[in-house]
Amino acid sequence: MAEPMAEPLSRERFLFLCQGAGLDPAKIGEERCEELREGTRFLPRLRDSVRRRRAGQPRERAAEPAHIFVHPKG
Amino acid sequence: MPASMGDPTRLSAAAAGRAIAAGELSPVALTEAYLDRIAALDGELHSYVLVLRDEALAAAGDAEAEIRAGRRRGPLHGVPIGLKDIYWTKGIRTTAGSRVYLDHVPQEDAETWVRLRAAGAILLGKQETHEFAIGGPDFTLPFPPARNPWNTAHYPAGSSSGTAAAVGAHLCAAGMGSDTGGSIRGPAAYCGIVGLKPTYGRVSRRGVFPLSYTLDHCGPLTRTVEDCALMLQVLAGHDPPDPASADVPVPDYAAALSARLDSVRIGVVRHWHERDAVAEFGADSTPTPTYLAAFDTACRTLESLGARIADVTLSPLIDYLDANRVIMLAEAYALHEHDFQERPHLFGRHVFARIGVGAFLSAADYVEAVRQRRELCEEMAGALRDIDVLVCANATGPAPLIDGIGPWGLFERASYTAPCNVTGLPALSVPIGLEDGLPLAFQIAGKPFDEAAVLRVGHAFEQASGFSARQPALAASLPGR
Repeated sequence: MAEPMAEPLSRERFLFLCQGAGLDPAKIGEERCEELREGTRFLPRLRDSVRRRRAGQPRERAAEPAHIFVHPKG
Repeated sequence: MPASMGDPTRLSAAAAGRAIAAGELSPVALTEAYLDRIAALDGELHSYVLVLRDEALAAAGDAEAEIRAGRRRGPLHGVPIGLKDIYWTKGIRTTAGSRVYLDHVPQEDAETWVRLRAAGAILLGKQETHEFAIGGPDFTLPFPPARNPWNTAHYPAGSSSGTAAAVGAHLCAAGMGSDTGGSIRGPAAYCGIVGLKPTYGRVSRRGVFPLSYTLDHCGPLTRTVEDCALMLQVLAGHDPPDPASADVPVPDYAAALSARLDSVRIGVVRHWHERDAVAEFGADSTPTPTYLAAFDTACRTLESLGARIADVTLSPLIDYLDANRVIMLAEAYALHEHDFQERPHLFGRHVFARIGVGAFLSAADYVEAVRQRRELCEEMAGALRDIDVLVCANATGPAPLIDGIGPWGLFERASYTAPCNVTGLPALSVPIGLEDGLPLAFQIAGKPFDEAAVLRVGHAFEQASGFSARQPALAASLPGR
């Protein structure tokens, strides 16, 4: 079954991360700040999902990223 | 125009082009008919943010004169289309649906519009988009969100909402959308039309507002698969200034269309909608019984056309969706970081909440998503080694009410379109039926740069299903000129 949704970040943690990201809560406004904090509940699932931890072990160190290079011909 | 033709806006783009070529339909009369419908119906639908009446009529007059002089450019010459308002149009306001660009007038045209105009297409106007192609139906923005032509109380999906609504309501013959996680194919599904996300690199993105550099695709929304083929014929091809554009030969797409699918091998990905959706996203993502039956019927139709069908198992749906989401949010936040820091008040509520989550992803999160992307690309390549196309679900129930769409549906519910964004594969959404008077659809995905196979399967299915002859009550609500 679906995993239970995580809780949003605490107010203190959220404000700390906003500061690190250069986001100014005074400019954003209280209502939007709170809505954005609410969205942080999705972060743990996103992080786990791209590491496939639900399936067991983290991926091998040698597993490289996808590369998007378009080399000119010639 | 012969009286027997009736309302010319009921013609597909291909049929209109043929009628124009035969001298049975005037581009000016066709453009006037579309402009009249827009004036009569768009007050309810909100599919356009800018109607270019004078410019369209002037271009139609030029097209008519050229065609009469024996200089017909091709099947789209004199055919009226629309552009999602993230496509740059020189000297014409292009807002991306945002206050941030409310007065933005580009100095250049998008390469896709350059190609369509050179093919003789007539631009009717700029069409409503969710803010920056991700924002959702936000009622706080300067332009009201477009509504579903099958029932205007319902959501048309997004972000190419205005284009899909306009094509579905016969307010243009075809249009251009963009697709980063499903923004062409989702609206195509809910609006009962056809939408193609080509292979990454097949169609230039130059001059289109980016959302996510490695996931953005430009493509057509049309009423038939044949129209999609005609549009792609014009759009496809190398554009060196777009760093992602691929120098790959372009086949004759219309020539690939046929009524039969003998010897075509089709893999059906059932577990995404039959198991993974509920297991990973909960009961709200349960496909409706009507959808499950329509999907099975569609697969049987493909079989009856000669295709060989076999089920295919891939990684869980969420592995594709969340890799797509992490990459999209990280790239989108990087793109808008300065404005988020300096003038966040200009963003709408939906787009601020959705993209803002990207501020809290780490560099490691992004790299892990891109590592996962490679694994998923290899998995898809393996699955497509012994088959020609994959079939999977699209929206698995009718469109919801537009008033109930919040900013978090992006994360909360299953969607079936992102797997082809994260892997870059071509994918086509085709209607498969109706539920409660609202359209249902499935997707056909193919090998990289094999849009021809995808269009072939879609066209044969469409001919057998006959859905493209159906139209919403709104589309039929006015007589032709």
